Amino acid sequence: MANEDLLKLTITELAPRIRAGEVSPVELTEAALARAERLQPQLNSFITILHEQARSQAREQEAAIARGEYLGPLQGIPIGIKDNLATAGILTTLGTRVLSDYVPDEDADVVRRCKQAGAIIIGKENLEEFAAGATSNNPFYGAVHNPWDLDHVPGGSSGGGAANVASGVTFASLGTDLGGSVRLPGTFCGVVGLKQTFGRVSQRGLLVTSFNGDHIGPMTRSVSDSALVLQAIAGYDSLDPSTIPVPVPDYSAALGQNLAGLKIGVPSNYYFEELDGEVEETVRRAIAALQELGVTIREVSIPSMEYAGALNIAPMADRIVTHEPFIDANREDYGPDTLYRTLAGQFVLGRDYSKSMKVQRIIKEEHARILTEVDFLVTPTSPVPAPRIDAPYINMEGADHRVRGPGSSLISRNTSPMNATGLPAISVPCGFTESGLPIGIQFIGSPFDEAGLFRVAQGYEAISPSAGRWPAIAD
Amino acid sequence: MPVSKDTLRAMIRDFHGFELSDSELDLIEPELNNYLAEVEKLRELDLSNVMSGRLLKVDEGGNFDG
Repeated sequence: MANEDLLKLTITELAPRIRAGEVSPVELTEAALARAERLQPQLNSFITILHEQARSQAREQEAAIARGEYLGPLQGIPIGIKDNLATAGILTTLGTRVLSDYVPDEDADVVRRCKQAGAIIIGKENLEEFAAGATSNNPFYGAVHNPWDLDHVPGGSSGGGAANVASGVTFASLGTDLGGSVRLPGTFCGVVGLKQTFGRVSQRGLLVTSFNGDHIGPMTRSVSDSALVLQAIAGYDSLDPSTIPVPVPDYSAALGQNLAGLKIGVPSNYYFEELDGEVEETVRRAIAALQELGVTIREVSIPSMEYAGALNIAPMADRIVTHEPFIDANREDYGPDTLYRTLAGQFVLGRDYSKSMKVQRIIKEEHARILTEVDFLVTPTSPVPAPRIDAPYINMEGADHRVRGPGSSLISRNTSPMNATGLPAISVPCGFTESGLPIGIQFIGSPFDEAGLFRVAQGYEAISPSAGRWPAIAD
Repeated sequence: MPVSKDTLRAMIRDFHGFELSDSELDLIEPELNNYLAEVEKLRELDLSNVMSGRLLKVDEGGNFDG
C-alpha cells in the first residue's frame, strides 16, 4: 500500500500494522507532512506545521517500536493540536494577533498524554480567533476552508483540525468545545466529534477559556478512533480541580455490540425547531435507521429548553472577565467579531448571571431525569449545513441569523446546551445535503457513560450513508 | 427591552467598564439584544424554588413548574 493510501486508514486499522512493523511511523509522518503542505494553500488548516519536530518524534517512536517498547494504538500516529492548547516551546497563538508570539513553556495535559502515548504532532491548527465562534474564519491567519466545498466554512472553532482529519492530513485532532466547537466542525466536515463528560479530561493548558463548560475533545474519522483518543487523554489530573476522579473504563471494549433493546429519546421540542429542511429530513432518516437496528425510539419533551437561550448569559459574563487583561493591554489587536461580542458582556448583571445558573440547574435536572427513562437522546448536531465563508447571515423561515460575531447563536443552538449540562455528546456523520455538504447527528448520554455513547454511535456509523465517503480534495 | 446608549455609557463610567464610542455601541447591540431578550423571557419564570439541593419536581411532558 502506498504511503498516500495509508493516510485514508483509521487509527484502529493502522495501529496493529505499526505495532507489527509493517508500517513505518517515519514514512507515515512524511506522507502526512507532504499532504499537509499540499493542502495548506487550499484549506489553510494550520497556523504552524511542525516539520522537524514531527520527523524527530516519528524517528523516536519507530526506534522504540523496534526495541519492543509498544505504547499503544496512538504510537506513531500523526495528529494535530488546536492552537489554543499549550505546547511547550512551540508558538501557540490562540488564533489572535494579541498572542501572535506566545510560546508556552509547558504542554497542556492532553498534549503531554498524547506524547506519552507516542502520537506524532504534525502541527498547530487554525481556529476562530480565541476559539470564540463557529466558523473558523480567522481575521489574522485567514479563513479555514471546508474540504467538501472550499467556499464553505469548516465549522468552528476547531475548524482546522476537522478539515485536516476529513482530508486525510491527520488521523485525529484535539479540539476544544465551549459551545460545540468540536462537534460543529465534526458535523460540517463529516467527521466524528466528541465532547465527553465535563471533568473527564483535564483542561490544564487550554488557554484563555471560561470556568463554565469548556472541554477538550477529539475529532476523528471513526467512532472507534474517538474511543482510542479519549482513552489516551481521559483521567484525573490532580493539578486541575475541574477533573473528577472517576475510573476510566476500556472504551473499546463496548464497541461492536448490537443496539437491540436500547431506548433513544427524540426531543419533541427545541432541538428539532429552527431546522434546515435537508438537515431535518436526513436526521429523521437516521433515526428511522436506528429503529431498524432494534432501537426503541421514544419521543420525549424537555420543557425547560424553552429557556435554553439563558444559558448564554453566564458565558457572556465569563468572556469579558477572561478577556479583560488582554483587552486592557491589546484592544487594537483584536478582530472586531471577537472584540464586540466580548465587550457586550460588560453589561451583564450579576442577578441575571445567577438566574442563568438556575436555568442551567433546571435543564440539568430535566436531562438527568429523562436519561433515567431512555439510554440516549438524539438530535441534529447543527440546525444548518455549513454556511458559505462570505455569508454574513443564514436566512431561515424569513428571518436572518448572524453567522458570526455579536448576536450569532443559531449554529451552536443544539450543541451549546450540553456544555452547560456537562453531559457527554458525540456527533457522527449521517449524510449529505443535495449540494454535497455533510450533516451530523448528535447522541447525548449519561454522565461518564462515554462507553455507551461510543456503542450507539458506532452502531449507527456502520449503516450511515456517510460511511466510506471522502471529499475530492483527499484524492 | 432596549437599553439606551446613555444608560450604557453611565454603566461604563460608573462601573469602570471599557469605553465604547457610539459606533461601537452599535456593534455590540445584537449581542446585547440577545441577552436582554433572554432576561425578558426569564421574567415569566418563577425561579424562587430552584436550589442546588432541591428535589426533582419536573414531569416530562407535563407542566414545567420551574
